[in-house]
Amino acid sequence: MSEKKQPKKISLAKVFVYALLTIASVLSIFPLYWMFVMATNANDAINRVPPAFIPGGELVTNFTNVINTIDFFGAIWNTLIVSSVITIGVLFLCSLAGFAFAKFEFKGRNILFVAILVTMMIPPQLGLIPQYIIITKLDWLNDLKAIIVPGFIDAFGIFWMRQYISSNVPDELVDAAKIDGCTNFRVYWNIAIPVIIPAFATLAIIKFMYVWNDFLWPLVVLREESSHTIQVALRGLIDNYVRDNGMILSGTFWATVPLIIVFLLLNRLFIASLTEGAVKS
Amino acid sequence: MKKWLMLVVFSVLVFALVACSDDSGASGEDDTSTETETETDAGSDDGGEAEEAEPVELDMWVFGSTGYDKLIEEYQTENPHVTITLNEGEMADIHNNLFTSLSASSGAPDIAMIEVSEVARFLNASDSFHNLNDYGAGDVAGNFLDWKWQQAQSVDGSFQVGLPTDIGPTTMFYRTDVIEAAGLPTDPAELAAEIDTWDAYYEAAKTIKAETGKPIADAPELVFNAIRDQQPQQYFNEDDELIIEDTVKEAYDFTTMMIGEDLIGQNALWTPEWGSAMAEGTYATMPGAPGWMLGVVKGNAPDAGGNWSLTNIPEGAGNWGGSFLTVPAESEHPQAAYDFIAWLTAPEQQLKSFNDMGLFPSAPEVYESEEFLATTDEYFSGAPTAEILAEAAKSVVPVYMGVNYATVNAELTTALTNVAVEGADPQEEWDAAVERIEQQLERQ
Amino acid sequence: MAQIETQAHKQLPPTKKRSSLSEKAKEAISGYLYISPFFILFAIFGLFPILFSFYLGFQKWNGFGEMEYVGFQNFKWILTDPLFWKSLTNTLFMWILGTLPQLLIGIILAYALNSAIIKAKSFFRVSIFMPYVTSTVAVAIVFGIMFNNQDFGLFNIIVGLFGIDPISWGTTEWGVKVAISTMVFWRWVGYNTIIYLAGLQGIPNELYEASTIDGATIRQKIQYITIPMLRPIIILTVFTSTIGALQLFTEPLIFIGRTYREEGITVVLYLYREAFTNLAFGPASAAAIILFVIIIIISSINVFVANRIGR
Repeated sequence: MSEKKQPKKISLAKVFVYALLTIASVLSIFPLYWMFVMATNANDAINRVPPAFIPGGELVTNFTNVINTIDFFGAIWNTLIVSSVITIGVLFLCSLAGFAFAKFEFKGRNILFVAILVTMMIPPQLGLIPQYIIITKLDWLNDLKAIIVPGFIDAFGIFWMRQYISSNVPDELVDAAKIDGCTNFRVYWNIAIPVIIPAFATLAIIKFMYVWNDFLWPLVVLREESSHTIQVALRGLIDNYVRDNGMILSGTFWATVPLIIVFLLLNRLFIASLTEGAVKS
Repeated sequence: MKKWLMLVVFSVLVFALVACSDDSGASGEDDTSTETETETDAGSDDGGEAEEAEPVELDMWVFGSTGYDKLIEEYQTENPHVTITLNEGEMADIHNNLFTSLSASSGAPDIAMIEVSEVARFLNASDSFHNLNDYGAGDVAGNFLDWKWQQAQSVDGSFQVGLPTDIGPTTMFYRTDVIEAAGLPTDPAELAAEIDTWDAYYEAAKTIKAETGKPIADAPELVFNAIRDQQPQQYFNEDDELIIEDTVKEAYDFTTMMIGEDLIGQNALWTPEWGSAMAEGTYATMPGAPGWMLGVVKGNAPDAGGNWSLTNIPEGAGNWGGSFLTVPAESEHPQAAYDFIAWLTAPEQQLKSFNDMGLFPSAPEVYESEEFLATTDEYFSGAPTAEILAEAAKSVVPVYMGVNYATVNAELTTALTNVAVEGADPQEEWDAAVERIEQQLERQ
Repeated sequence: MAQIETQAHKQLPPTKKRSSLSEKAKEAISGYLYISPFFILFAIFGLFPILFSFYLGFQKWNGFGEMEYVGFQNFKWILTDPLFWKSLTNTLFMWILGTLPQLLIGIILAYALNSAIIKAKSFFRVSIFMPYVTSTVAVAIVFGIMFNNQDFGLFNIIVGLFGIDPISWGTTEWGVKVAISTMVFWRWVGYNTIIYLAGLQGIPNELYEASTIDGATIRQKIQYITIPMLRPIIILTVFTSTIGALQLFTEPLIFIGRTYREEGITVVLYLYREAFTNLAFGPASAAAIILFVIIIIISSINVFVANRIGR
């Protein structure tokens, strides 16, 4: 925030900010690092006291075991499909709904918005059986549709988009566009979307990661190996008695790598949208 | 089904529109209540014609490392009209999915594996399964250990929910180095003779403590479970009444007494410190360890080969683990499914599973096999593992577990942990556990 | 695009819309159309399960077979069960310990990440978000090792530095709560940081620049620009994280496992145990309904309070 006029103050603030971010980064990244360490060690090194803290030499062995036990790449592919489709669908549906809630006036708007918030308050754990019944009636068992279609329901996404749009897309701009004869959809498409790209990037990151790591629901409806998403497939590495943590964490680690790549890509989009804004202003 | 869907979509659209033009959001509340009734369609086909060469596809769910894929291939070669799809998963997941499917009367496989700790619960929902007695289970009953067979049977014996696969007869593993340092015999037979009762175990514990400073066992749960599993009745009687005061309180008292004298450590099962202790030899024995524990120890302590051995557990073995294969009622090919699992659990195939994946057979005929009996384990100081486990298997007594076994077990484990880790008063913890158990049972 | 005009109008009070009637009708139709996908999908996949839960709250059902109507019996059971109240207070404590600090730290980190002086933003942003990417299996194993009950556990070494005796994290009243709260905190800080960051990005730099010219201090900038502009996002996070905290489930399940120790049992864990371990779906549903009511009450209070922030 500071300007480049008072060098003394800047350096102090700088040191503080860097120190803060460095500590936070170390604490945050540590488990991932450890996951990698354990993914490269044999099982006994993980249970040893104190446990291994530096990478070992079992990287290839552990991952070979993973590939021999489950269809790792097939499951990654399924997960990519599911995560991408849900993310794109959610971005579109939530921004549209959020835009309507933020910028349109219609009867019952507030009540409907509250209704969406209330849906978040119901603990989902008990809904498992009835939800499963619906999926079997639709004949969607072992079908990725069973994950994708309910995945489009995202009350948080609507809430998020509505909050972001209401504070970042000025009413005047919307009105002006309408006076120019824009249809409502064009207002959304041409006026709102360019402004809310950071919000898109954020929601995309959150949603994509969430779907990628979700397993409770996929576990219930995807029973055939060919339909497994990666988290369901990884469950197959857990033997009932003899746990090979090295292998389990190897699978877990490599299943995280594509996520990090996706995150970096979306992050780029995020930054691009900002620099674009900066150039314009 | 399609009609039903259209109806829902249509009513939803109407609901959405109505709700929008109005300000209420709570209309249409009762329209779904009729759907909730579970339809049990007992699809018991006549079993005769499945023998024909008509192609049959069977869906099978198992957990753990069974190695059944190879056996399935073998079976399919012999029976070309049968195609079996194997789905492997994690144990709890498989049970949960089975539960959900049976509860919704849809989506269950033709063959489902069920673990012994869950079998009573599913037996309770016998409407959801084919009675294997209808397909010839009576003929193979004699192949299996009685106690194992009865675990998958209704109390009156008329309903057989599953065929036995593997079992987990318990033995006592021990660290030869610690035992030796304490001046006790390290030979399996001699040690078994020395520690032949729990009183002797207690005496040995004092010796070991005095000589080496180490506890005789590190996990309180294992000692408790070992004694509990020797009781002919454990948590419930056959009328599902809670009887723990009369049956396992003694085991609890014995364990907490040993904890009080610092003769047992405080590690909880499956924790990293429990695993690492196997490598370090910080304790002398692991009572109540079944055959599958051999692999656990090797995995956690790959370099401790020759420091471990095993022998009989004092006062007779119990059982920990093992599974059954069941045929859910939804299956349209119960006879074909039964034929396959009867083949899979026959002595010859059980021996193959043992050799392949170490699944300990539930068919005593296998115990006569020379090849089987000759199995020794270098890691376990060359002890005749199969022979010791087979002997244990024969001495297991049948136990009625009851539907709520897991509920009781969780609370008693909590009580033991509190005594071991917190130093809580054993009697107070017991009373508190009993109260919690009764509270939960009352609601069902 | 068109950022400058945006900012120029930002501080003005919103002008009343003066469009023609048919324009209004069009807008309403578009509005309904745009929000309808959510309601349609929700009605299919969300409504039935909820009604089913409400219905079950008054039944006796073990997951199989027939249901039996029992009136308010289930509610009576739940409300007189000390463990239910214990689970409720546990949940509230863990909310205070794990969730509230998370929002505060999240804002601070986002503010730091957003400041102009920082290089390697991407690196820091990625690192701080890492916990959210980590799967529950890894979290379970890593935290299981760190919160070891023994003297050599990482957290026991840390408390040892402060002269505190080793704590039995897995079994003591506060040990369990602190451990679970730490997990919650660790997993969700990055998530909230990213959300705040997006909110901060939306605040035009010109506002800060203008205030710098006017001689505003950093604190004044935060108080008069950042917080008010961020208010919608703050309300959002307070609301969603409160709901998330009251529905806390995964972390305690990972940490205390299936013994459901009463030091760490949360309301959702409690109802999950009722349903899937004890096969008492009626009481479980009753507990879910009671939790639903509690969430509504607490969320309302929360939003009311959050609304006043920065006013």
